[in-house]
Amino acid sequence: MNREKDMANYTAVFFIFISALLLLFPSTRIAQTARIFCSYSLYPSLHYGSKYDHFIRNVPDNFLNILKTDQENRALTVRIKELEISIKAAEAADEENRRLTSEMGLSRNIALKGVWARVINKNPQDWYGAFFINKGAKDGIALNSTVVGFENGRVGLAGRVLEIYQDFSKVLLITNSVSSVICSLHGANFEGLAEGRGTWLLKMNYIPEGSAITEGAEFVTSPGGLLFPQGLPVGRVQKVYPRESFMNFITADVAPAITINALKEVYVVKRDFPADLAVIQETLKK
Amino acid sequence: MRLIGDILLYLLTGIIYWWWTTNLSVFGAAPNIVFAAALSAAIIARPAKALAYGFFFGIYLDMLGSNLFGAYALTYTLMAYGIYIMKRHLDLVSPFSQVVAAFTLTMISTLFYQGLSLTLAKINPLQLKAFLVEPFLNALLAPVVFYFFAQFKRRFDLL
Repeated sequence: MNREKDMANYTAVFFIFISALLLLFPSTRIAQTARIFCSYSLYPSLHYGSKYDHFIRNVPDNFLNILKTDQENRALTVRIKELEISIKAAEAADEENRRLTSEMGLSRNIALKGVWARVINKNPQDWYGAFFINKGAKDGIALNSTVVGFENGRVGLAGRVLEIYQDFSKVLLITNSVSSVICSLHGANFEGLAEGRGTWLLKMNYIPEGSAITEGAEFVTSPGGLLFPQGLPVGRVQKVYPRESFMNFITADVAPAITINALKEVYVVKRDFPADLAVIQETLKK
Repeated sequence: MRLIGDILLYLLTGIIYWWWTTNLSVFGAAPNIVFAAALSAAIIARPAKALAYGFFFGIYLDMLGSNLFGAYALTYTLMAYGIYIMKRHLDLVSPFSQVVAAFTLTMISTLFYQGLSLTLAKINPLQLKAFLVEPFLNALLAPVVFYFFAQFKRRFDLL
């Protein structure tokens, strides 16, 4: 009995010590290695679970889809021809836009090229913090890639890639408490910092006092923020708080442009980061 | 052989948790199967193994989350140790006591995790919805998971 008691105490001390090490020194090599080791050990259960679950769930729908596909195929063939003409016109406009932007030296705007990914897991313990998508290093996903979502034809910023594995990645949502995005209003000459709060709302901080900001105004990613492409809708102002006596800026509640927790698919933007950020990326990889 | 069985049981619990939270969570709320498994393992298994189960189940949740890595591991290790102390004085084999234990320990572990997170990372991860709903869901689930774990112990000598 005493031996068992000693064993229990030693084991408890051992595991508490390990946990404390991981908690207190999260950025050390040992903690990072432990994290990566755990992630890769549990990786098959996540990857194969999502893969086969998707097929099993969709079996009845797939039969119906085959019948619909043939009809859609005919209609789409006609539509493609129409769109090809539109694309040619759009390419010319895009080329002109790039040329003018480059000549004016205004921005580093980029076309949003990337890959579609399916959301394969959301953890209720971290509902507003992160989710997993089914695209990873194999699909060319890079660290800090921008993740956008679509809802009823609207696009909105969802977050950025936080961790990458071979076949899936973890996305840090903009609603996560550690997340922040530099935003601006269309046509306004000020910026604010949209910070996640671990709830469905964002907190917009550092809006200069006296800025023309009203409820319903839409914030988009700012060219001042290097991490995200500019112009992506972040959210709409829901409530503006008056300036407190001890602050020299005003704050606002912002509802994300899309319902992030209802996303089933997302679009991961692939782009080359500016040179200054690319250096940091490389350092992080090492 | 038993070690392989334990690893399989661990992975199976993880897969079921993963599947449930992906497909069956209602308005973002779902019972925490990993918690119920850690609780059941702590009741059934011998102390050292119960602590190991608690630690590794915690690591699994830490891996899925984006906050402090190691916080759940510490929480569940302490929970397993607490149960080891408790089960010498209380009967935790009956379903009713498991319901009460799961309800209480969910609240305590959530608050402990919250405290850790606020202290070490200044992050407030507590969602009121989860805090209000999860203890009830976990309390309902705990006897079911315990039953399956007890069967695993009896038939395959796991845990």
